Amino acid sequence: MNRLPGIITAIESNDHLSLVDVAVGQDTFTAMLMETPQDAPYLKVGNAVVVLFKETEVSLAKNLSGQISLRNRIKGVVTQIRNGAILSEVMLDYQGQTITSIITTRAAQRLVLEQGDAVEALVKANEVSLMEVGNADTDHIPSPVQGEG
Amino acid sequence: MIELDLKKKLLGAQGEFTLDVRLRIEPGEFVTLFGESGAGKTTLLRCLAGLAEPDAGSIRVNGITWFDQHTRLPVQQRRVGYMFQDYALFPNMSVRGNLEFAQRKRANCQRVIELIEMMALGELQQRKPATLSGGQQQRVALARALAAEPQLLLLDEPFSALDHETRLRLQDEVLRLQRHFGITTVMVSHDVSEVYRLSRRVLVVEQGCIVRAGQPAEVFGAGQASGKFTFAGEVLAIEAADVVYAVTLLVGNQIVRVIASADEVQRIKIGDRVMLLSKAFNPMLVPV
Repeated sequence: MNRLPGIITAIESNDHLSLVDVAVGQDTFTAMLMETPQDAPYLKVGNAVVVLFKETEVSLAKNLSGQISLRNRIKGVVTQIRNGAILSEVMLDYQGQTITSIITTRAAQRLVLEQGDAVEALVKANEVSLMEVGNADTDHIPSPVQGEG
Repeated sequence: MIELDLKKKLLGAQGEFTLDVRLRIEPGEFVTLFGESGAGKTTLLRCLAGLAEPDAGSIRVNGITWFDQHTRLPVQQRRVGYMFQDYALFPNMSVRGNLEFAQRKRANCQRVIELIEMMALGELQQRKPATLSGGQQQRVALARALAAEPQLLLLDEPFSALDHETRLRLQDEVLRLQRHFGITTVMVSHDVSEVYRLSRRVLVVEQGCIVRAGQPAEVFGAGQASGKFTFAGEVLAIEAADVVYAVTLLVGNQIVRVIASADEVQRIKIGDRVMLLSKAFNPMLVPV
């Protein structure tokens, strides 16, 4: 699980859904949650949260140009690649933190990924969860009562 | 319209408490009493049926007093259909005999024929209850409860002794018949999915009192049904699959496999209890 600490900067909600912006360093991450500030009190501008997303939900792009619907674009540098027969694990340095992506080995080869490459990691907003910080220990599986989206 | 206001002292596991309920039920409504065992739900049904007597209060059904200070309408005059958890069929009578007996003096052959047809009991009608499966017996019990043309149908955990599939089938049947006949129905249940499927209104009973009431989504929704799924599971196996891991888990009585990253696998070992979390966006729904 990728984890990045951040601060909620904006929340847009309707009856059931919320689009939550979270500042992580200079960047903004967006999470689409099936929770609203009414039923999940931790959803408050200014609250500290951890942004969570699974490695298998992280796509990678090199020299990306043009329009794309994805809201979460993370600029990083490849630090390590582990190639398996089918899947490859690619680790990125993102502002001193590690982001891991698991993509097909085929895709990794097509991108000719090498250590030191500048890439963008892409995550759909609805694959992003938020976990409340406070008593949360980010090194453990998020407890279900902590309002993980 | 059912209006009840009753008090009755009960002896629970933690000593004495008072069943104290005030309630209005609209004609044709399907209401569930939900709560732990021993909260007083069954006693409430029994008071409605006339099988138990409140210490005080009143029960009025469609303007007729069934119970108050001066009135004790006997069981057989209340026109109540009662379906129990343990079927409670007459063992010496055939299926058809059970239905006909339930009609008592209101001999309405048409009703029995209609019920036998609606519930597909035709082939079973001459059989004795002991030769039927649990699901079949409970279908007969439902038909019998409806045979007396009740004004009020009382269901006391009617599905709890049945396997999952039979339970779903019978729940559908109850809904269909309840709507067809428009019978006001009160069910006792402690199964959330059953409450969601069947009733428009749920009353949560704790220690003899109604502590929450509303539509199932309102009553169970807040806090519990957020856009995430959490399942408790036990790790049965962890196998490397390329750069990821296939983790086999026991969730309920189902064995499932999920993909985990090296990082996730580092934190777990075989035999560990884990939570499976999934977002509301991932599951795909397929009718069965």
